[in-house]
Amino acid sequence: MGLNRQHAAEIISHSFIGRGYYRLVLRAPDAARSALPGQFVMLRVSQYLDPFLARPLGIYSIPSKSSIEIVYRVAGRGTSLLTQMEPGSSLAMLGPLGRGFPAVEPGATPVLVAGGSGFPPLHFFASRLRRGGLSTPLFIGARDRAGLPPQPVLASFRKYGAKISMATEDGSAGVKCMVTSILDDYLSKSGHAASSVLYACGPRAMLAVVSRVARDRSIRCFVSMEERMACGVGACMGCSVRSGTGGFKRICTEGPVFEAGELDWSS
Amino acid sequence: MRNKMPEVRDQKSAMGSPDLSVEFAGIKLKNPVLTASGTFGYGEEYAEFVDLNKLGGVIVKGISLKPLSGNPPPRIWETPSGMLNAIGLENPGVDVFLRNKLPFLRQFDTKVIVNIFGYTVEEYAALAERLDDAEGIAGLEVNISCPNVKAGGMVFGTDPATTHELLTAVRSRTKLPIFAKLSPNVTDVTAFARVARDAGCDGLSLINTLLGMAIDVRTGRPRLANCTGGLSGPAIRPVAVRMVWQTAKCVPLPIIGMGGIVTAEDALEFIIAGASAVAVGTANFLNPRATLDVLSGIEEFLALRGVKRLDDLKGTVNTT
Repeated sequence: MGLNRQHAAEIISHSFIGRGYYRLVLRAPDAARSALPGQFVMLRVSQYLDPFLARPLGIYSIPSKSSIEIVYRVAGRGTSLLTQMEPGSSLAMLGPLGRGFPAVEPGATPVLVAGGSGFPPLHFFASRLRRGGLSTPLFIGARDRAGLPPQPVLASFRKYGAKISMATEDGSAGVKCMVTSILDDYLSKSGHAASSVLYACGPRAMLAVVSRVARDRSIRCFVSMEERMACGVGACMGCSVRSGTGGFKRICTEGPVFEAGELDWSS
Repeated sequence: MRNKMPEVRDQKSAMGSPDLSVEFAGIKLKNPVLTASGTFGYGEEYAEFVDLNKLGGVIVKGISLKPLSGNPPPRIWETPSGMLNAIGLENPGVDVFLRNKLPFLRQFDTKVIVNIFGYTVEEYAALAERLDDAEGIAGLEVNISCPNVKAGGMVFGTDPATTHELLTAVRSRTKLPIFAKLSPNVTDVTAFARVARDAGCDGLSLINTLLGMAIDVRTGRPRLANCTGGLSGPAIRPVAVRMVWQTAKCVPLPIIGMGGIVTAEDALEFIIAGASAVAVGTANFLNPRATLDVLSGIEEFLALRGVKRLDDLKGTVNTT
């Protein structure tokens, strides 16, 4: 391997970007050099033992040769403590970890589906797409307007060529429906399904529907999964999801990105 | 301050490098720091971060006769200074262990202790026999905190008679040193330590996880799909130190002390309480190099205090 994956990563910048999200840029040259879209890092939010475990966070982008960018939402005490960490201080970090998104095959149209706070790995993915001026469909779903990604994130996706369609459950922004409905509408238009490959990250319930839509239309679908995680390196067996062929798969090392058919979506 | 070092008593001896090697149950370890079962996989998972040659030993994740797929998720839940887990002893089974996992560990100059478990006495015994002549195994650690299928699921390690039957059966099928990993979920752990000695065990591992539970109050559901799980981490360390101390006083078996060790100071508590060696567990999850940090901290402590051999510190708790 050669590259070091355990770092004391210095905080270069850390700021609130709206809708409950923070943007964190960390100095981590080895990680910046080797990270692939879909991979994640384990970040310790404090040097003390409570909160105890590191937090798994998807990589949002590689802003320079020596840094990585994380965008996270305050979800509990751990991420709340993380917001207080100031530039100049360092965070214990492991990564990049896990298996990322596979490269887009020639001729295929990547179709991105983000639910809730699941957009960071898709943003990194979008930043690496070289589509020669073609736009990339991005479907974003949330419960309501407040649950959508913050404006700087949407602007950045557009910069990378994303054509954004939004859906909210209460209709306060975009179309009033589940994001999977607007995805299905898109795919049902003539010609779209044939070349589409889905890349999705979000709540499990959303991913289950996305994977069903893909299966029904016989199109490939890659999902990025989340689960409580302790070690991030395959040792604790804490982050397992049910495999489609019986048994379990570890999100940290066999994922977080899986081809949808690898997993059991029935439960 | 947790990390403050005690006063230097003898500046001269601080220069010499202390002897960290320990020998017990016929096993000679280059240093007293091992990895606790279930927190370090089969060594491979952490080999990128830790030079395994530097460890006293690796106690591998529990192995059963047949592969086990484990419990449904969620399997873990963070708690104050600790975590609950109900992994369900997921493992690839002894055949895959011998074929794929053990050869990797054999490449390193470290002692391999294999944690074993089963659901019947015969499963444990057959497993011990299977591992008996495998090359590169220094000892077996017997996880007695499993439900006994033939006794209605009652946990082996919480009943003295079944503990005795189980350990006697394992003893009769292997020449390897065996360590009983005792459950802390009993009123008097020393009673089980005596049972282990009477059954012919060579040492003890203290402690396994404490049985715990957490509930999501909004849904009323347990946080773990299994409802209950094993509590580990610094939260349980005082319980573990107490049990090591109580046991070391009255049962003449070497003890591998474990339970919430994060720093060298934590590890030294166990040694002073009477443990011969220590195992770093959940701390590996926070810091893959936790074992090496503990090791260098122990060495530094001994040097500063002028203690020549780690063994000189063993069981020196001052209760006067």
